[in-house]
Amino acid sequence: MARKDFLDIVTLDREEIIHLLDQAKPFKDLFTRSVKKVPALNGKTVLMLFYEPSTRTLSSFEVAAKRLSADVTIFDVPHSSVTKGESVRDTIDTLQAMRADYIVVRHRLSGQPAAIARQTGASVINAGDGAHAHPTQALLDAFTLREVHPDLAGKKVLIMGDILHSRVARSTSTILDKLGVEVAYCGPGSLVPHTHFKRFTSYDEAMKWGPDAVYLLRVQKERQEAPFYPSDREYHSVFGVTQERLRRISEEGIYVMHPGPINRGVELCDDVLDYERCLISQQVENGIAARMSVLYGLKPQTS
Amino acid sequence: MNLFLKGGDVATEDNAPTRADVWIVDGTIKAVSVMDAPEGARVIDCVGTVIMPGMFDAHVHFREPGQEQKETILDGSEAAINGGITGVVMMPNTAPSIDSAAVVNRVMEIGRKCRIPILTSGCITVGREGKEMAPISGMKDAGVLMLTDDGDAVPNAALLKRAMEYGKEFDIFFASHCEDSQLAGPRALNEGPVSYRLGIQGTPALAEEICMDRDIRIAHATGAHLHIQHVSSKIGMETIRWWKERGAHVTAEVAPHHLMFRAEDIGDYDTHYKMNPPLRTAEDNAALLEGLKEGVFDLIATDHAPHTEFEKSQAFVDAPNGLVGLDHALISLYDRFVAKGDFGWELLVKRYSAEPRRMMRLDVAEVAEGKPADLIVFDPNKTTTVSKEFMKSKSSNTPFLDKTVKGSVELVVLGDEILLER
Repeated sequence: MARKDFLDIVTLDREEIIHLLDQAKPFKDLFTRSVKKVPALNGKTVLMLFYEPSTRTLSSFEVAAKRLSADVTIFDVPHSSVTKGESVRDTIDTLQAMRADYIVVRHRLSGQPAAIARQTGASVINAGDGAHAHPTQALLDAFTLREVHPDLAGKKVLIMGDILHSRVARSTSTILDKLGVEVAYCGPGSLVPHTHFKRFTSYDEAMKWGPDAVYLLRVQKERQEAPFYPSDREYHSVFGVTQERLRRISEEGIYVMHPGPINRGVELCDDVLDYERCLISQQVENGIAARMSVLYGLKPQTS
Repeated sequence: MNLFLKGGDVATEDNAPTRADVWIVDGTIKAVSVMDAPEGARVIDCVGTVIMPGMFDAHVHFREPGQEQKETILDGSEAAINGGITGVVMMPNTAPSIDSAAVVNRVMEIGRKCRIPILTSGCITVGREGKEMAPISGMKDAGVLMLTDDGDAVPNAALLKRAMEYGKEFDIFFASHCEDSQLAGPRALNEGPVSYRLGIQGTPALAEEICMDRDIRIAHATGAHLHIQHVSSKIGMETIRWWKERGAHVTAEVAPHHLMFRAEDIGDYDTHYKMNPPLRTAEDNAALLEGLKEGVFDLIATDHAPHTEFEKSQAFVDAPNGLVGLDHALISLYDRFVAKGDFGWELLVKRYSAEPRRMMRLDVAEVAEGKPADLIVFDPNKTTTVSKEFMKSKSSNTPFLDKTVKGSVELVVLGDEILLER
């Protein structure tokens, strides 16, 4: 696999996905050892370029890169010349001089990582761009689901919530689709676009479909310019995992996932976090292994 | 000048090309018929070519004053000549906007140094801000016939109504860029599967259709003539058809790119396909073509919109809207439609030469005895590669960049001057 960049899931084929998932497994096994590091990227530089605030994804990439023995530089965007109106293109030209081998990018604009990838020989990894893609999240989600359902083909996953503004929904549904999982969307009519996936606008109807896992999305208030539903309270009562709904989820043995950070009292009630089939903390741990697999598999053109 | 175009076929707005030689003396067409070359005339072999009147583009952005890095009036006029176009109407969204007699005069003065007539429209509102009416009478006196806030709609319907009530008394007409700004959102691409896939909020056709209907209703109620600019959707086309059938004084234009391209062409964020109104669907392409053939659209206009390479290299949402068109509009229309039999030469002449000139109350250019020379020789058997070297526009933001299309503009004659001879 001589791919330079990792920008989205759409352009990956099934074999590449399986390869990345299989490759993540030994990395995860490292985490239980006393020395969690391998020398794979010794002497390589990974640059973190986060134009949007993020603690979880940034830390996850940082840990992943360090466990591969890479040198990590975090480009501190809010205090840099970016705020002085320098264009992304000019910033990249400047950063080229630092000779990073890998650039991990998060940006509020869809397509920005792809534009950067065209400009640099470094491997560009998309850590989330606008509402477009979050491919490493998709990979860790698939990895997490495979841990509980080794054969994903024919399984059903319901993705709930703000589909319209979610890059996670796009990437995760795409990877699951490519792995043979049946995907359906559910949420308020104003937030669930018409796609080739099944679409439910009521919670009960969606549960009757019999999902093996429910993937809850964060309501992305920061991406909504005008209200898409009346109130958080109403959202919770109609589409949130309430205690009553959690009972049913528990009775049917359905797994619950969430990309974080969660909005308590909106998409889920507190009790979900203590539910034995809640996979949220596994997702976080698997994120490191999945990102190690991605970094390890790319071929920068920087030598 | 004593020029004899020998062996070509002459196209008019009513008739398919017919074999005829054209003799031009001192800027006037002396004869159009099958004849022997007159003594002393310079003979140009035109066998296999089509001789047509010069085209006229009623919708161009020349960026001067204010954004000369994208295009100057002179560069734009040369791009027009390169594409067989012998007259244009500038849009007023320059910096400053063309919203007063002073700016109109400045633009016209620069325009007079060009080799083709440069007309300009003026703003409906001061600075295109949609707040106060621009000095309409003053701009009319300076030579403006068309008022538009192109780039944006006039958001305030009451203000538009008053401007029409006021402006029509000055024998001026209005043109609308139809768009409900709330529905339009960030104006990057059409709302649909492509906008969802790329994760960018789309602009629904509804944004255009609602505003179009609003503006035509206001014009109809006030009695003003309204021209609808760059119609991009099927229902938009049908809206105009519906109003025309009811006798509203409305004209409309369609841009070549809306006939040819669709949202899917954006692929992986190719900003050359980013324009406003956005490219929509195959169904819209087909409906617009039907509207053009049927006469719902009075004219074809490019919406020539130059932007620098740097601007277009930004992320899709940040990159500005628009593509250049003057250099290659005619050859691409030939390549995509005439060569395939979708419509004939006479449609091109009618919709891209005669009708826009009628709308601007100019004499219609004709390849006919006694008329002033304003003609082009088009060779359908040659091809053109739309390279940066070929284009005379200062910018090269077009999906046709480095593509080869059928057809070549070989000769452009205006008055007593040969403007282009390839």
